[in-house]
Amino acid sequence: MTVVLDGRTLTPEALSRVARGEDVALCAEARGRMEASAGWLAEHPGPDAIASKWRWLVGTDSPPEDPEARVRAFLRGHCAGVGEPLPVPVVRAMMAARVNVLATGHTGCRPEVADALIAMLDAGVVPVVPSKGSVGAAGVAQLAHMAWVACGYGGEAWKGGERLPAAVAMVGLPALRPTPKEALSLVNGATLTVAWGALAVCRSRELLATAEAAAALSFEVVRADLACLSDAAIAARNHPGARAVARRMRTRLEGSTLCSLGRKPDPFSIRCTPAVLGAAQDALDHVEQVVTRELNGACDNPLVFEDEGLIEAGNFHGAPVALVMDHLKVALTQVASISERRTFRMTYGQLSGLPSYLLRSSGLNSGLMLAQYTAASLVSECKGLAHPASVDSLPTVQHREDHVSMGPIAARGAWRIAEALADVLAIELLCGAQGLDFHLAGEAVDDEGQVVEVTPGVPGPGVLRTWRAVRARVTRWDDDRVLRPDLDALGRAVREGAFVG
Amino acid sequence: MTPTVPIDGHQLGLAEVVAVSRHGAAASLTSQARTRMAESHTWVERAARGELRDAEGESLAIYGVNTGYGSLARVRIAQDRIRALSWNLVRSHAAGVGNAVPAEVVRGMMLLRANALAKGASGCRPELVDTLLAMLAAGIVPEVPEQGSCGSSGDLAPLSHLALVLFKGETDDPAESGWAWFEGERVTGSEAMARAGLARLVPGPKEGLAITNGAQLTTSLAALACWDAARLVHTAEIAAAMSWEAVRGVTRALHPGVHALRPYAGAVDCAADLRQLLAGSSLTDSMPDKVQDAYSIRCTPQVLGAVRDGVRFAASQVGVELNAATDNPLILLDAEHPNKAFSAGLFHGEPVGMAADHLKLALCELATLSERRIYRLTTGTLSARLPPLLVHADRPGLGMMVPQTTAASLVAENRSLAWPATADSIPTCEDQEDVVAMSTTAARRAREVVQNSGKVVAIELLTAAIALRHRLDEEPDLVLGAGAAAALPVVEAILSTAGELPADAIHALDRAVHDGRILDAVVAHAGELAPVLA
Repeated sequence: MTVVLDGRTLTPEALSRVARGEDVALCAEARGRMEASAGWLAEHPGPDAIASKWRWLVGTDSPPEDPEARVRAFLRGHCAGVGEPLPVPVVRAMMAARVNVLATGHTGCRPEVADALIAMLDAGVVPVVPSKGSVGAAGVAQLAHMAWVACGYGGEAWKGGERLPAAVAMVGLPALRPTPKEALSLVNGATLTVAWGALAVCRSRELLATAEAAAALSFEVVRADLACLSDAAIAARNHPGARAVARRMRTRLEGSTLCSLGRKPDPFSIRCTPAVLGAAQDALDHVEQVVTRELNGACDNPLVFEDEGLIEAGNFHGAPVALVMDHLKVALTQVASISERRTFRMTYGQLSGLPSYLLRSSGLNSGLMLAQYTAASLVSECKGLAHPASVDSLPTVQHREDHVSMGPIAARGAWRIAEALADVLAIELLCGAQGLDFHLAGEAVDDEGQVVEVTPGVPGPGVLRTWRAVRARVTRWDDDRVLRPDLDALGRAVREGAFVG
Repeated sequence: MTPTVPIDGHQLGLAEVVAVSRHGAAASLTSQARTRMAESHTWVERAARGELRDAEGESLAIYGVNTGYGSLARVRIAQDRIRALSWNLVRSHAAGVGNAVPAEVVRGMMLLRANALAKGASGCRPELVDTLLAMLAAGIVPEVPEQGSCGSSGDLAPLSHLALVLFKGETDDPAESGWAWFEGERVTGSEAMARAGLARLVPGPKEGLAITNGAQLTTSLAALACWDAARLVHTAEIAAAMSWEAVRGVTRALHPGVHALRPYAGAVDCAADLRQLLAGSSLTDSMPDKVQDAYSIRCTPQVLGAVRDGVRFAASQVGVELNAATDNPLILLDAEHPNKAFSAGLFHGEPVGMAADHLKLALCELATLSERRIYRLTTGTLSARLPPLLVHADRPGLGMMVPQTTAASLVAENRSLAWPATADSIPTCEDQEDVVAMSTTAARRAREVVQNSGKVVAIELLTAAIALRHRLDEEPDLVLGAGAAAALPVVEAILSTAGELPADAIHALDRAVHDGRILDAVVAHAGELAPVLA
């Protein structure tokens, strides 16, 4: 379904659909707002936007005389990104998010600017944009690389999976001819940060749901005590996320004959699951709120107001989103960390009540020993990546841009952590399903370490659903085999949202 | 033609690692090493056959030969299952995730593993080393996922992915042979080996451990990073000298008498290099009123000198590891005890991981210093009257405004990557492996930081070249120092064929920094610089 951009109601979820290839349209009302703001600018010819900015930045009166040469020199000067190209979905999200900023109607841009970017999105033409080199404040290199291609000045673009010279990829598309103010508005904001951030928010939403599914499965494997999910207890502490997590987990585990109630307090990685996943959910709610506000905010400068005229302010600064991206990094790291401890517990014979590494024949076989190592390594990597990017700032541009956000680094870090978390959860699901198989088959370990027959356990309905989704992709381990295909299959499934719901 | 690198466990240096992993030099096992390996292998075979007895007459229990792995060492393995045990190790430990490790790093892993085995303390056949080296010669690059190793007991998962290509089970199943790159194609390990005419081996007793126990992914990454870092230190000195001239800096801060008073080796060497690079300059010391420069100029020997010391430390640790046995247990044939298999912890990645963390920190500082000079050169009020942002009067543009921002961003990213990975540890393996190194993460981050820092130095070279050209345009009689005189034409030649965007210029110079074109030209003209590596 086409995503309609109106400058007011764009959600991370809709943006992530655009990232994956959905078409985009500009709503009629936003078109009207853009026309009005561009019209206001035309009727109030002040100093040219780029010329003013140029004087401010460079400190001399030297911009090219000809407006088009000025635009071109301005954009060219901003194309200074480095490193591997951004993933295509990130560039698509950035393009659509920038259109939505223009659609707020405060940027003085004509609808034609939005149309040009939308035409590229709908034709599947995506500029090749270097991933590094932005500090997330004011003129952003990645947006300039995008604009450079959109204007037909040069560069490269992806089309149909091929990397082509922009001129070839853009055949049949209208070349953008921005006014100076439009060129400025194309690049002047932390839109890379918010676009990447929005994708991270969507992925995190799915990962948190997956983390609940994986945790519930682990609850059955270690035969958890469900008192820790008591609504009375959790409600008494006021955190809404924890309460919601516990409620959903109770539903997943309802009717389980493996779990019990009020028998023994479990270790923290089990018992405190609602506290940790709930805190992450509360954090994500806040992050999403900020990201959603930003997606629909006038992240540009100067801004046009029909009643107050042109206002120079600091709306381009990436701080709001940089801060919540750093927050998201920490939240996701906690989720990964507690998941790994449950994996550790399940693979640890003395702690799980099941054979070591979840294999009847462990010894000759190492079973899922290494799966836990991989999870531990990923969690440790997350801890390093969780170091906040936004605590840093370096003065740039001759003391003028003397405080910057480092938002793109924070957003990229959040994405990297989300990627690692997906694999950590895949490992918990792998071990969880392998552990549940013992209970389903009525196999337990006695005091001498021998596997004995007992009454098969019945897991809760939600857990059974999760177990089936795992077993549809990987079979039970009886003897050692190459582990990676299982990790790949489940990692893919986690990223596709197979365990959500 | 590069000479063949001898593999004997004793004489591998960084240069050899680079020659083999990056430039395709050949390597071969020496006959002495072959003999040592065969002797220790014979002992392991006898132990595996149950021929060796302890004082009570029981057959010796040897970790990983006739016991399970990790905490499963408590389980004894029947004699007829010993080979299956080795193959199971490789299969079940192939547990990596994420993107593939770059080809040069995988080649480094293979070489380093071969050299570790050549020590003759691992009890494996010389054929393992021969096959690894033949794979290198044939250009087979096993696909190794980069994430998932704790670096203890070594890079188990990454090495297991490598071993899937090298080994096979009693029955050869191509679906369990991993993946490899061969002649530009991604094929199964089994197909790659068949096409190269190489036989895959059925692992014998302990041979699974012998291939997987050790931090060779960590060390390969760290070795290449140390090599690149050492070259980058020299290139950063060249860039610093160019900036020094561009701001008409004062060279009294480089006086040998100054550095003799606080004789850090790195600082002494760095000051000497800068004197050499600045020799003959008519730009330095040309402002009579200026008594001293800002820190990013004046304190270059202190900061870049400390970086030098850090790189040297990291490289010397890596140098030990390059020629170390990293296996467990170790077969010490000369030991008095009848049980020649000594369980210990040589696989632990900590020494290399800590070195990689330190390298990372050092390179962060290299880039921090470089970026502040870029800022200085581009800031009208700080640059001794260079044009603001180095905008050329006849070619209106934004000059070096955004490249400086790019450098600032790279520095900030480095800082967020500088968190020491080895400071962390998470218990694994039923608490048997309860302190792990996380060295692989340290080394992966070190590679990223070295790469980011190379880009920052590229931007400084770009900025300083434009600044010096401006000075020369204004005063054609100026004489550049020896370093700048050699570097400027090379930089300008590279820029003349780069595209029109600042990004194109930075990219072209980054490549030249990496392949050493600028450094080589300067050394040819201004003489050798003080070596960074011992």
